[in-house]
Amino acid sequence: MIYAGCDLGIVSAKAAIIQNSDIRAFEILPYKSHPKQAAVDVMDKALAKVGLSREQIDSCLSTGFGKNAVSYANGAVPSLVCLHRAIRELNPSIRTVIDVGGHSFAAFNIDDNGRIAATAVTDKCAAGTGKFVDVMANALEKPVEELSQASLSSNNPIPITNQCVIFAESEVISHINNGCDRLDIFAGIASAVAAKIVGLVKRIDVNEEVAMIGGVAKNSIVVRDLERKLGLRFANLGVDCQVIGALGAALIAKDERESASQ
Amino acid sequence: MIVAGCDIGALTAKAVVLNNDVMLGSEIIQSRSNAVQSAVEVTDKLLKRLDLAYSDIDYCVGTGYGRNIVPFANDNVSEISCHGRGATWLVSTIRTIIDGGGQDCKAIRVDDNGFVKDFRMNTKCAAGTGRALELMAESLGVDVSQLGHLSLEASDPVVLQEPCCVLTEIEIRYLVFEGRDSADIAAGINDITARRILHLVRNLGVRKDVGITGGIAKNIGVVSCLERALKTTFVQFPVDPQIIGAVGAALFAADKAGKLHSLA
Repeated sequence: MIYAGCDLGIVSAKAAIIQNSDIRAFEILPYKSHPKQAAVDVMDKALAKVGLSREQIDSCLSTGFGKNAVSYANGAVPSLVCLHRAIRELNPSIRTVIDVGGHSFAAFNIDDNGRIAATAVTDKCAAGTGKFVDVMANALEKPVEELSQASLSSNNPIPITNQCVIFAESEVISHINNGCDRLDIFAGIASAVAAKIVGLVKRIDVNEEVAMIGGVAKNSIVVRDLERKLGLRFANLGVDCQVIGALGAALIAKDERESASQ
Repeated sequence: MIVAGCDIGALTAKAVVLNNDVMLGSEIIQSRSNAVQSAVEVTDKLLKRLDLAYSDIDYCVGTGYGRNIVPFANDNVSEISCHGRGATWLVSTIRTIIDGGGQDCKAIRVDDNGFVKDFRMNTKCAAGTGRALELMAESLGVDVSQLGHLSLEASDPVVLQEPCCVLTEIEIRYLVFEGRDSADIAAGINDITARRILHLVRNLGVRKDVGITGGIAKNIGVVSCLERALKTTFVQFPVDPQIIGAVGAALFAADKAGKLHSLA
């Protein structure tokens, strides 16, 4: 049986296709407008990778900000439920999940019985999100991927004092004008983002093992700073940290079919 | 005596030249990434138009975010004092000035002589500023200059909830996505901006007359939300409300030049 999940986020659409419990394919498609079309395209791309067609999917569920706009989905599931389901499948010893996406920013605990125990969600502010990092990288005129790798070698991170994206952007521009090294500036940005995330995570218990997911989990320097500040190493989930929601949706599609057929 | 005021803001740079009590001209440009460059460009442009040279200016005062680094300024004065001074010189009955700038938003109380008595300003968050308006306009897919007029066509304004203008992008995108009318969304953007500004104004306390300066004064949607909430009609400035800080700086320049003159 083939199951699929589509996570339609604010800035990217993610698709996952599973057969039984094995991941057959996944795809991530950043988009600027037309979320409905992005949802269709991302699934078609994932299907094409493994030579399947949409008719061969037994059931598909959607999740994320645009979950109700995924035309081909058989139903919609909240993000937290999907993340929890996928994490349980990937690594049952995870007790804390930190999810930092483009605009979202959340953390939750899983107790020994596998249930969600406590959650903390974003402040009323974009500090610490992927958007914050993107705006700063844009001011530095270099791609985030490049900066996050290259700045790992910075020995002199420049402290960023403003939390507000807009004020921090001006602060970064002033540092550039003052001739500061761009990698030192980015190292300072990463440290500020990590500090903000730690502030949120500390509202719940940080129990090992800890998983970090969402787009910001791909930012090497933020991950390194976060691991240092929390004094631990994140567990390796073995799949792309951006498709956890889509994978969870596919797994729930499978669960629903299986329980219905029993 | 010819004096100049140069207001280097986060988003725009403004210059004003006065000859005694007469305004000779003003100029506004988008700020460059470097404040020195912004100051030079805006002043060059204005002097060229007025057919004046830097040597014709007896005294220049810098103000705004980049006030310390205006290369040809003789001195600098805070933008709060300059907005107070400029606004009272233009409309003597004004007592409360709302300055909606690019990256800051202030409520300023002035006394009968135009001296600043008290003020409130945003410090940690850019919601309610020009840059926030720009970002929200971008999410809606319109230019910030269109937000005001567009909102006048609203029939069922949306109510935005997120206080952070960066996170508001989600809300706006979602509303666009649901097919909400862009005039209704524009009205919601203006409303949330006005609510942030009102927070500062109410904290300071309102005394009439009230006027609004800065780029946000050009958004008729935000202005009418504020007028409605404060139950007053704002004074009309005889000049572009965005140059009032630079006018104030030029007036301070005249004072300082006069003092120098009397000492000599």
